[in-house]
Amino acid sequence: MPFPNVRLSNRPLHFIYLCDCSGSMAAQGKMQALNQAIRQSLPGMAEVAGNNPEARVLVRAVRFADRAEWHLQEPTPVQQLQWRDLEAGGITAMGEALELLAGVLQSPPMEERALPPVLVLISDGQPTDDFEAGLATLMRQPWAQKAVRLAIALGHDADLEVLQQFIGPEPPGGGRSPRRPLQASNATSLAQYIQWASTAVVGAASMPASQVQGAAAGNIPLPDLPPTVLDPTDDVGPLVW
Amino acid sequence: MSPAWLAPQACSVLGAAHGRQGKPCQDASLSTELVGPDGQTLQLLAVADGHGSSRSWLSQRGSALACAEAQAAVADALSRTPLSDERAWRQLLREGLAAAVHRRWRAAISADWPQHSPDPAAALEPVAYGCTLGVLLLAPRWWGCTGLGDWDLVAVDRGGGAQLLSQEEGIGGLGGGEATASLCLPQGETLWAQRAQLQPLSSQGQLQALVLTTDGVRKSCASDADFLALCSQVIQLEEPQQLRRGLEQITRDGSGDDVSLAMALRAGPGSNPRPRGRRAALALAGAALALAGGLVAAQRLLQRPTAPAPDPVLLQQQTLCADPTRIRANLTPRRAQLQQLRRDPAAAAALLAAPQRDPLGALLARSQRGTLTACPALRQQLATLWRETGGKMPAVEVRADERPPAGDRPAAPGSR
Repeated sequence: MPFPNVRLSNRPLHFIYLCDCSGSMAAQGKMQALNQAIRQSLPGMAEVAGNNPEARVLVRAVRFADRAEWHLQEPTPVQQLQWRDLEAGGITAMGEALELLAGVLQSPPMEERALPPVLVLISDGQPTDDFEAGLATLMRQPWAQKAVRLAIALGHDADLEVLQQFIGPEPPGGGRSPRRPLQASNATSLAQYIQWASTAVVGAASMPASQVQGAAAGNIPLPDLPPTVLDPTDDVGPLVW
Repeated sequence: MSPAWLAPQACSVLGAAHGRQGKPCQDASLSTELVGPDGQTLQLLAVADGHGSSRSWLSQRGSALACAEAQAAVADALSRTPLSDERAWRQLLREGLAAAVHRRWRAAISADWPQHSPDPAAALEPVAYGCTLGVLLLAPRWWGCTGLGDWDLVAVDRGGGAQLLSQEEGIGGLGGGEATASLCLPQGETLWAQRAQLQPLSSQGQLQALVLTTDGVRKSCASDADFLALCSQVIQLEEPQQLRRGLEQITRDGSGDDVSLAMALRAGPGSNPRPRGRRAALALAGAALALAGGLVAAQRLLQRPTAPAPDPVLLQQQTLCADPTRIRANLTPRRAQLQQLRRDPAAAAALLAAPQRDPLGALLARSQRGTLTACPALRQQLATLWRETGGKMPAVEVRADERPPAGDRPAAPGSR
């Protein structure tokens, strides 16, 4: 008798950018740098996805300014993704963005067998709406609790406290950790963080090892930051933002 | 081997991703027969899944030791506890085996640690050996399971339907990410009780087989319906090599994780004991005896009109209602399926057209159409599931021109 003919499937890995598109992002080339960093990271991300065929890497993006909306709504295989530039203008509806995100982290539409998603929040400012309510809505979703949540602060005006709330409790002991907001002070460091998130983190999340229940390290052990950006506080390139 | 169970086997296969990364297989599995002082035999199946993370760098040893120590602990219990004492075995499954396996496993990894630790004098790190463990005991008159972690146990009935009997609730399991309970947890011993159960075979006339798997198998299937279909079909495989090749395909086309599967068929009417390997002669002898004894009965049976195939949905209902503690565990993973049915009522037609493929799905479809009559516990849990998915279960409608399928109607006294 042949082996049972049932549908087998690799596991979807949802990678979702949450991009601040407020007016301040237009200053000092931040929006250009973000578009460039994401666009440049895609080949590496596609290569990592190709090396991990058991995961199906699907990318989406939310933009938030006066309102939050999907910039890339369909979960798109990274190999097929063509990045459309984001544009800046407006205020910072970050809470609304988190609520929008919460809607797609329900099951369904989230697949039962999905890998823990990777959520990357990028902001240069402070939320102008009810961030707490948005975060509470998001964190009611089990998939949000299990997600790898990263935050990148552009410049020194970013609200590190809300970014830390998005990531989760700050790890004890101070020092360097991707479980703290990563501070990018120029286009180079931003590109390195985006590259790290879209390759090293995607690689780790694609083939996760089982974690002991209650382990403090989180659902997916995060890879180390690349040596050149080990210090999340501005030691790469000149201070621009 | 207990004559109540046939063709037990277990197989573990290196995950496709682990193979690419040069990692060892961190799963282990076991199928063995134990004999008690009274000569009665107990079949033991076990699967263990090493965590494989950088912290659990010896977990392939942890899972192998877990299976070995489970065997030793069960053998020890069998030497002191007759299989006829179901009450004692129920208690063993809930507590006694947990304590014994944890104690033995801890001792085994302590002895193993100095040989593998870079610093033999360093204190033992149990997390280095972290793994799950699922244990299935098959006795002549009952079966029982226990353990901890994200393993799954499925029953296949004689109608071909399959249902999930045990899965990790809470943080582990599907939708729970990659976290799981572990033998290395200090409180691990207390977690066994929630996975422990003992079922007398006398109450399970329709049971055909039990299939125990590590999480890599279920996570490789596109849906739970596919996983259950896999379990209902895998028991038909005739050669161990077919199982191994199939598991290799599962990990290659699925999750990439290590995969383990252990299973046994229940002897009984309609079972087809397939001789395997060294057990062939024994099984053939048993089959010959059964054939001799059954010829007269078979002749009589042949003279009767063929009975219609049992309604898979009704069998599913009966199984769930016979043990209401299983209802929630089986319905909860179907939340997404019910939501899909609510969005697309046409999907129900496909389920109702082939209820044998996914009896529980067909049961949901009948609940949607208001044609399901079930025991109160099942109705209550179905109503809860409907509420959780934002809807309300339609009331049962029984009109003269639209009666529920015959299998759903309660039998009149004396009619069966």
